[in-house]
Amino acid sequence: MNLISVGLAVVAAAALVGATAGALAQARTRPLVAGAATAVVGLGGVLAGVAALGGQTWSLTIANLLPLAETTFAVDALSGAFLVLIGAVAITAGIYSVGYTSPGGAHATDEDDAAPGHDEVVAHDGVDAHDDVPGPAKAAASRTAQAVLPLFAAAMLLVPAAASVSTLLVLWELMALTSLVLVLAEHRLRRSVRDAGLWYAGMTHAGLVAIMLGLVVLAAGAGGESFAAMRAGSAGLSPATASCVFLLVFLGFGSKAGMVPLHVWLPRAHPEAPSHVSALMSAAMVTLGVYGIIRVGFDLLGGGDGWWWLVVLAVGAVSALYGVLQASVAADLKRLLAYSTTENVGLMLIGIGAAGVFAAEGNRVLAGLLLAAAVLHAVNHAAFKALLFFGAGSVLRSTGLRDLDRLGGLVSRMPVTTALFAVGALGAAGLPAGNGFVSEWLLLQGLIHSVTGATAPSVVVALSMPLAVAVVALTAGLGVATFVKAFGVGFLARPRSVAATGATESPLSMRVGMGLAAAACTVLALAPAVAGAPLGRLLDVLPSVRGGAPLARSDVSLRLAGIAGSMSPLLIVVGLLVAALGAAALVRRVTRGAPRRATPVWGGGSTRLSPRMEYTATSFAEPLTRVFDDVLRPEKDIDVTPFAESEFLIASISYRQRVPDRVEARLYPPLLAAVGRWGQWSRGIANGSVHRYLAYGFIGLLVVLVVVGITS
Amino acid sequence: MTAAGVVGVLVQLAVVVGGAPLLVGLMRQVRAVLEGRAGAGIGQPWRDLRKLLKKEAIRPEGTSWVFTSGPLVLFASTLVIAAVAPFVSTASPLDGVADLFAMVSLLLLGTVALTLAGLDTGTAFGGMGSSREVTIAALAEPTILLAGFALSARVGSSNLADIVAGTLAAPAQVLSPATLLAAVAFAVVVIAEAGRLPVDNPATHLELTMIHEAMILEYAGRDLAVVELASAMRLTVLLGLSVNLFVPWGVATSSAPLALLGATAVFALKVGLLGAVLATFEVFIAKWRLFRVPELLAGSFLFGLLAVSASFFLA
Amino acid sequence: MSDGVFVQILDLVCGGLLLSGVLMLWRRELVAIVRLLVVQGVLLAALAVLLGVREQSVELYLVAVGVLILKAVVLPGVLHRVLRDSGDAREAAPLVNVTSSLLAAALLTLVAYAVSGPLVALAPSATTRALPVGLAVVLLGFFVLVTRRHALSQVVGFLLLDNGIAATAFLATSGVPLVVELGGSLDLLLLVLVLQVLAARMRLTFGRTDMDELQELRD
Repeated sequence: MNLISVGLAVVAAAALVGATAGALAQARTRPLVAGAATAVVGLGGVLAGVAALGGQTWSLTIANLLPLAETTFAVDALSGAFLVLIGAVAITAGIYSVGYTSPGGAHATDEDDAAPGHDEVVAHDGVDAHDDVPGPAKAAASRTAQAVLPLFAAAMLLVPAAASVSTLLVLWELMALTSLVLVLAEHRLRRSVRDAGLWYAGMTHAGLVAIMLGLVVLAAGAGGESFAAMRAGSAGLSPATASCVFLLVFLGFGSKAGMVPLHVWLPRAHPEAPSHVSALMSAAMVTLGVYGIIRVGFDLLGGGDGWWWLVVLAVGAVSALYGVLQASVAADLKRLLAYSTTENVGLMLIGIGAAGVFAAEGNRVLAGLLLAAAVLHAVNHAAFKALLFFGAGSVLRSTGLRDLDRLGGLVSRMPVTTALFAVGALGAAGLPAGNGFVSEWLLLQGLIHSVTGATAPSVVVALSMPLAVAVVALTAGLGVATFVKAFGVGFLARPRSVAATGATESPLSMRVGMGLAAAACTVLALAPAVAGAPLGRLLDVLPSVRGGAPLARSDVSLRLAGIAGSMSPLLIVVGLLVAALGAAALVRRVTRGAPRRATPVWGGGSTRLSPRMEYTATSFAEPLTRVFDDVLRPEKDIDVTPFAESEFLIASISYRQRVPDRVEARLYPPLLAAVGRWGQWSRGIANGSVHRYLAYGFIGLLVVLVVVGITS
Repeated sequence: MTAAGVVGVLVQLAVVVGGAPLLVGLMRQVRAVLEGRAGAGIGQPWRDLRKLLKKEAIRPEGTSWVFTSGPLVLFASTLVIAAVAPFVSTASPLDGVADLFAMVSLLLLGTVALTLAGLDTGTAFGGMGSSREVTIAALAEPTILLAGFALSARVGSSNLADIVAGTLAAPAQVLSPATLLAAVAFAVVVIAEAGRLPVDNPATHLELTMIHEAMILEYAGRDLAVVELASAMRLTVLLGLSVNLFVPWGVATSSAPLALLGATAVFALKVGLLGAVLATFEVFIAKWRLFRVPELLAGSFLFGLLAVSASFFLA
Repeated sequence: MSDGVFVQILDLVCGGLLLSGVLMLWRRELVAIVRLLVVQGVLLAALAVLLGVREQSVELYLVAVGVLILKAVVLPGVLHRVLRDSGDAREAAPLVNVTSSLLAAALLTLVAYAVSGPLVALAPSATTRALPVGLAVVLLGFFVLVTRRHALSQVVGFLLLDNGIAATAFLATSGVPLVVELGGSLDLLLLVLVLQVLAARMRLTFGRTDMDELQELRD
């Protein structure tokens, strides 16, 4: 009995049972039923994934499930890594959703509590963060949303197990539709949800079309639609066709992964979806885009040309920088996290792109290391991003706020959430003791060793790698700024609004969900070497990087195989703890443990500091906004209203700053206008006459017949 | 892990912790002498620390564990670097624990701990200092990593002991364009990270210009003592890194007691000299506007990039 | 001179050439920029001397002397005089700000490295491998010409361009014949003098030496 088949059977069964039960259950028990089913689905995925990473493989062909094509599944180590990743996120999201969707969340609060003064400072960024965000629980607990949740998790888990074009596309579409339903869960509450849903539907289907075109061309060229046939036949494709296939598939999967410029749905859909859904989408679903690029590029197409991967590298670099820049100036917590997803996908693409470049040059050691770094970063990202979205969801549920400018003071009101969010933020910032640090370090190691081989590096490598290092470094630096802002402004200091003042700790199930994600972050941060063997097995699946065993496991440190480099995250953390506790004990001893006296903070002469005097997220990011003025182009306007009596006496000054998504503003309106014109034009063709429609069909049939007659 | 190796690490820790306030004292003294003042003497920072430890510690209302743990994290991160980096000996048993990139991240961790503490106070000063500090740290990151890239490209490893040993083995490389450019880039970053002129003025408490001091305004007593000691150690570590990466001569390559003793003396001398040079340099310049700092960092970024390209195009 | 020392000094001189070019983008004070031109002239002369030692050629020493006189003494002297007369000694508002200029310089250098690959491959040696430096200085000179407004900055950009060409010529051919160098230098001197006159006329006409003012002549 194969563990993988058991795991996947659990996934399918739990999803069907969960969906049925979720649809039938009473409103009171619904959160528990759907959450438990989702967690069990995740558990099945983790089981199958661990077995696959352990070296097992499994495949299954069902002849008549779909019309015209066989349904084929196959699980190898590459699928296994993503099964574990998605399964783990689904487990935590399932548990978390029990509390999140049960009644008791904060309802619309007084929105203008924090601004009693004359000079109104409003900081918007893109979406209107001040829309009332009433209790998310009710909408996310609707019958449809609850029934679809386990289905969504199962669809995501089955995508990496799919092994033929038709199976993949059907599951991909199922995943897109279920997630769309979940994104729209709160559509009655806010208008922006509908907008987000529309963008998401548009982008995901455009992506589907691109993937479909690419894979169909590949299948036609390779002479079979199963992955095995494509693997065998792809070598026979002409370079031009192969490049076409790769670019199409890259675009399609990239739109799901949220790479720039196809990222526009992320900062809309992630904030508007219920938080456990945001976590599932951002941590798990997005990485399936990365999976698709690896699967098609490295596996089905067998590595391909160097320039493909240079494109991937460049797109990754742009995505990382643009994503982190937008995140660093965002004031909406969930929007910030969404842009941070674009950033992290960018980092993964940098790793994948560089790996492809080296693989094309025949440097398997570096290619393996970089690809392993990218996959490990995907796993790390899943862990911390799920945790961060859960944290943001807890805050949203407790206060009704996503706007960092109005949060604060949660450290004493929601201590557990704050501490767990800190763990996630540490990971996302790529600092030691956080899990993101390990994969970013690996990525940098791969990039800097590009020029130290015995032979001189090629010009392409010599030019692109320093720039890639610079991009990764700047991304890391700005990432730190982003998460210092998210944590420092959102959770520390004093509350900036009444809603934040009234915050209370989340229910147990939410804390457990977050705790599990935090535990995953901690394990990944301290003992990344356990991933060494599974990652080696993953690389063995891919022909062009086969044979690179990236991480040699040696006692407590992380050693790179084939090149010089070692680092021990565990010892660093132990050292930090020993040093900090030792210093604390020493100081306490010297000062004889005198307690600290509570005093008012120094107000520069004033005795009462109001929350209005605190730095907000917008003001915190102001230096960065100014430094990157040329890139971000913030829109500012200042309204000065004088008194009626004299224009020299100022009644109020209103300052607004908004950082629009410039890529979106530049690129999409012309595109949408063109689509709109095309739509207008097609209205002329379809004028409602049935005869005309029948004539179209008739002409179509004739054309097909004639074409067939001529060509055969 | 041999006993001699452990001794080496302990010596290094003792040198950094004990010597850091003296370095700050020396730099202040040099500045005072050059400005025609008598100065307070080299031992004054140690006396300040003793005084601070005796004072009452306070906790501003509304602050949390983040505020109280900030100084400890800063201290701990700097101490870990002091233990691992090849300041006195390249034969440290902890050598494989952290490489150049990990150390850069550790420095950043210390910065983050203080910026969070600054935000935790909820005052405008704290937020302002944090915001500026984190901006500068973020912009300095590419430069420092590119300089590290240039240095590690030479020896094929980003391990510090390897880089130092590589320079010892091939001394002529110090004068290669790649190393010189990397040195310039590194110097700018050290100035930015350590909060020295022209990026930040460590002696100012003027609200418009201070960065580091604004963040730690609410600390007093023993907490301030830890912050001051850790900041001095950070300066020492940064100067020590720049000295040993570019002029490593005198560093012990074994853990023999005599070698360690000699290396300690040479290290103290080199860092002291560099500190004095930095202090002299600071007498002649003024603090820059915050928004000219990106210009400085872009320049040093360019040097870093040129260093990397020179390292594999010229040599 | 042993090979190792020669390569070391050559690399240093080339690094210095590039560095002084970059610093010209960084500094705003024209006095400082002219001083950097002096440094660059000296370095260029040093390059000629170095090649002279290598090739055992007296002609190259003469070229070095010529370069030193023209580029480190005469031309900066002329520029100094213009500066003293004109008064506004700062490149106040370049078309591209300094931070972006520096980042652009980084990219231009990488481009120079990338495109000179085939040239280096023709005859790989220590001197030709430093060829990208000369090309990078040429590109930096062009960049200064394109983005700076002050008439004097234009002259500086032109001189930078010429220094780059000279460096490229030295490195590619291991020294140029005296006659060629003489001809080029005379051209250069003439051009700078013409530009000096132009700048003086502009100041008389517009009161400033901002090259954008020339747009008015179109109407």
